[in-house]
Amino acid sequence: MFVVLNKSQVSRRTLFIFSALLLASCSTTASQTVGFIRDEPLDVSRVFIDEQTNSMQTKPFNTVAPAGELLVLFFGYTNCPDLCPTTLADIRAALARIGDDSKKVSVAFVTVDPERDTAERMTSYLASFVDRFHVLRTTDVNQLELAKEAFLAASAIRKNADGSVEVSHSATTYIIDEAGLVIDEIPFGVGADGFENDLRIFLKMIQ
Amino acid sequence: MKKIKTVAVIAIFAIAITACSNSDSESTTDGSDAATKSVVESGITVEGSWARNSPMDATVGAAYMDITSSTDDTLVGASVDESVAMMTEVHETTTQADGSMGMQEIKSLDLKAGVKTELKPGGYHIMLMNLAKPLVVGETILVTLTFGSGATQVVEVPVLEEAP
Repeated sequence: MFVVLNKSQVSRRTLFIFSALLLASCSTTASQTVGFIRDEPLDVSRVFIDEQTNSMQTKPFNTVAPAGELLVLFFGYTNCPDLCPTTLADIRAALARIGDDSKKVSVAFVTVDPERDTAERMTSYLASFVDRFHVLRTTDVNQLELAKEAFLAASAIRKNADGSVEVSHSATTYIIDEAGLVIDEIPFGVGADGFENDLRIFLKMIQ
Repeated sequence: MKKIKTVAVIAIFAIAITACSNSDSESTTDGSDAATKSVVESGITVEGSWARNSPMDATVGAAYMDITSSTDDTLVGASVDESVAMMTEVHETTTQADGSMGMQEIKSLDLKAGVKTELKPGGYHIMLMNLAKPLVVGETILVTLTFGSGATQVVEVPVLEEAP
């Protein structure tokens, strides 16, 4: 079983990370991630989502980590009472425990409810959780759909007759490397322990 | 040298793929223990209650707790004073067919006699809607639970950053 790789798309470092992880998984003493690692990582290097910057300008954000860093991405909405604050709070706790190396991690939050999530709302919401974040908000339905497809994520908004709005969304947290590959897919509910576990593993690999 | 390094890495990768099976997904759940604060009235015990502090600009909140009834009963509602939130409902987080997760209101939550029913992140929770003001760590809110048996119980719910 061989995988054909296009060298121009996959960096040597990413290959090394995957090799190390796959070989490590054969060893009973190796570190295991709580997240899911694919043989063929999702390539999100060509995904662009509008980012609302500090100065409230809109510019396209490429879902690729800066060199030597990790990008953590999550789809959600600020009116989410349970999944989103739980995930973000867990990430916050994990980064606090990791300490200095957490400077190499930034968090991108993609709203699946751009109508109700304004840039201002999202900014103060995310600032409650992390220092380095990207507010990703697009009202372009196609742009959001393309992004969801690339991440194999789903979301839906249902407006009820009584005016209430129900939102569903994938609750996976994606860790992306500098090549724009999803190197880890963390399911909901792993807690701060789970996030700390996986982030430490990948931070160590990119040192 | 660069070429040899590249070939070496690709070779290692090829060996790794053929030598090993996939890393299966392994999920762990938060193992934090519930606090021991318990209120016992009418045979209903509520432990480990907490509500998450509000991120800035949040309009909704969630309260969690473990409920045990000495007899078969149901949780049919929850309420808070309007100085906390305008509306309160019991919700369940569920997984949809497309893999996404959403919530639905639960009108009646079964409480089997002697069995601890957990309201926790990712599962059942008491949803506080249209918060009058952000929930702040250090404050305690009062949540009145209503049961199918007709019993009601007021629970003191501390606002915390994470599960106790």
